Amino acid sequence: MKICLLSYRGNPYCGGQGIYLMYLAEEFVRQGHEVHVIVGPPYPREVEGVTIHRLSNHNYFNKKSDFIKPHKPFATYQPLNFYEFVSSKMGIFPEIETFSFRVFMKLKELMKTHRFDVIHDNQCLGYGFMLIKLLGVPFVSTIHHPLSIDRSTWFEYPSDFGIKMKRVLYYPLIMQKFVSNRMDRIVTVSYDSAREITNAFGVPDKKISVVYNGMDPSIFYPLKGIRKKKNSLIFVGNVEDRKKGISYLLKSLTLTRHDVHLTIVDGGAPNRNYVPSWITKFGLNHKITFTGKIPIEQLIRLYSETEVALSPSIYEGFGFPAAEAMACELPVITSTGGALPEVVGEHMKTGYFVPTRDAQAIAEGIDFLLDHPDIRRSMGKAARERVLKVFTWQNAAKEMVRIYEEAIDAHR
Amino acid sequence: MPRAKIWGFIAVFLSVFLLAFVIYAIFIGKNDHAIPVDLNAIGVMTYYSMAAPLLLISLFVLGIGFWIGWTIITIKVVPPMPEIVEKNDYSKIKAAVLCAVTLAAALMLVYGFYLRAYWALAIPAAVISLVVLGAVFWVGIAIITTRSTLPKGKEES
Repeated sequence: MKICLLSYRGNPYCGGQGIYLMYLAEEFVRQGHEVHVIVGPPYPREVEGVTIHRLSNHNYFNKKSDFIKPHKPFATYQPLNFYEFVSSKMGIFPEIETFSFRVFMKLKELMKTHRFDVIHDNQCLGYGFMLIKLLGVPFVSTIHHPLSIDRSTWFEYPSDFGIKMKRVLYYPLIMQKFVSNRMDRIVTVSYDSAREITNAFGVPDKKISVVYNGMDPSIFYPLKGIRKKKNSLIFVGNVEDRKKGISYLLKSLTLTRHDVHLTIVDGGAPNRNYVPSWITKFGLNHKITFTGKIPIEQLIRLYSETEVALSPSIYEGFGFPAAEAMACELPVITSTGGALPEVVGEHMKTGYFVPTRDAQAIAEGIDFLLDHPDIRRSMGKAARERVLKVFTWQNAAKEMVRIYEEAIDAHR
Repeated sequence: MPRAKIWGFIAVFLSVFLLAFVIYAIFIGKNDHAIPVDLNAIGVMTYYSMAAPLLLISLFVLGIGFWIGWTIITIKVVPPMPEIVEKNDYSKIKAAVLCAVTLAAALMLVYGFYLRAYWALAIPAAVISLVVLGAVFWVGIAIITTRSTLPKGKEES
């Protein structure tokens, strides 16, 4: 099968999108399919057998200055770029929409020499896709979770009118609702996310298929011979992402009986705005270490040195950090937010569940697991077994091909 | 001077000139010819071909403003954890004001459009021109101030 994957961002090291894109692409190639990837910056690494087509942009939304490329000084005056420039200065996030139009132009060019059997988008859903549909190729899209959840979790944190206004403008929900209802199929990564997509975008159940993400056990595994640090905890994720429930986690650290130490693996200092002041407010500066962005080998080592992982998210469409910790045989205290129960499995067997937004319950969970090393050990082993059994990219790719075949049949 | 910078200067001067011209023509010099601007003297087709696009764009922008306010007012979320609240949140009141202002502006605009009032066309035209020319100016300045790190031969490709 000749598959064309689309992703407006392709960073394979952080955020679910890039990971999803590259693992799927690799697995498709392994299963004998021809794979092309059209991707915006940050670009993914080269993968053998995958043809990557890079679509550059000027990143106007994030760059306050220095957005002129010296070798293309007038590019901003081109209509699509100018639209992207003006709207991003007004607080709109136009990258998704402009990517969809750029992809259309790229596909038109590629279709002169390639006949794709299916095009698979990775949570872009821009208006340009309506033009791509005219190319007559079955068109599938993955929605990891509807962005309406990100918006509402932002609203439940203290903010002012200006911030709220920016958040309303930022998320392209009207566009994604319009486009998602016009795709041939929608794929999502959990049953909870499927329900949320139906609620938020009104996409009918029968149009949505669930394919669980995979986990690479050759990358995430428990290192042997590493000594666990006493009372050590780990949280992996963007602390400023309101879905992650960081405020409840911080409060829980003030309620534990044990003298715990939390390591936070996040995107680095530029991505921290509110959380450092909350840490100070809770008096936790001596109990928390930020690592910033670290190589994957260091993350695996951290997992191996730590006693308990925490994933207290208010919502997760899937929850890669929880699955990664599980793959490293770490017991995970996880909230019941979104798809986390689907991923983590069973309370007290493959993980420890707490209600969302419940700092007291998180603290009790931490105390319980730190008091019971045997349970920690058996929970970690069961967690890894579950990940190896349920979450493989091989299964994900096979299931995806079955969905493509259905979409192709329906298209004929 | 590199060719890109020359074009940057041209973009800046042109946008400033046009901005000044728009402001002068719409707000200051509109009665230069002794006869006040009377849109009723224009034929129906001419009037609507000018006014309808302006009205639609203006209503679209005001609609976005109203939608932002409405979303802030109506979104149902769990209240924030008291420990991390630093100041009172008046965003719902401000959002209500935004809704009221945009709604009133939209009604006034439609009424002005119906009456063929000069300002119902002039203000939206001025705002749209200011936004577009302001962006051209901004990009022009960015072109002028961007320092090239490329070898000399490649600068002007």
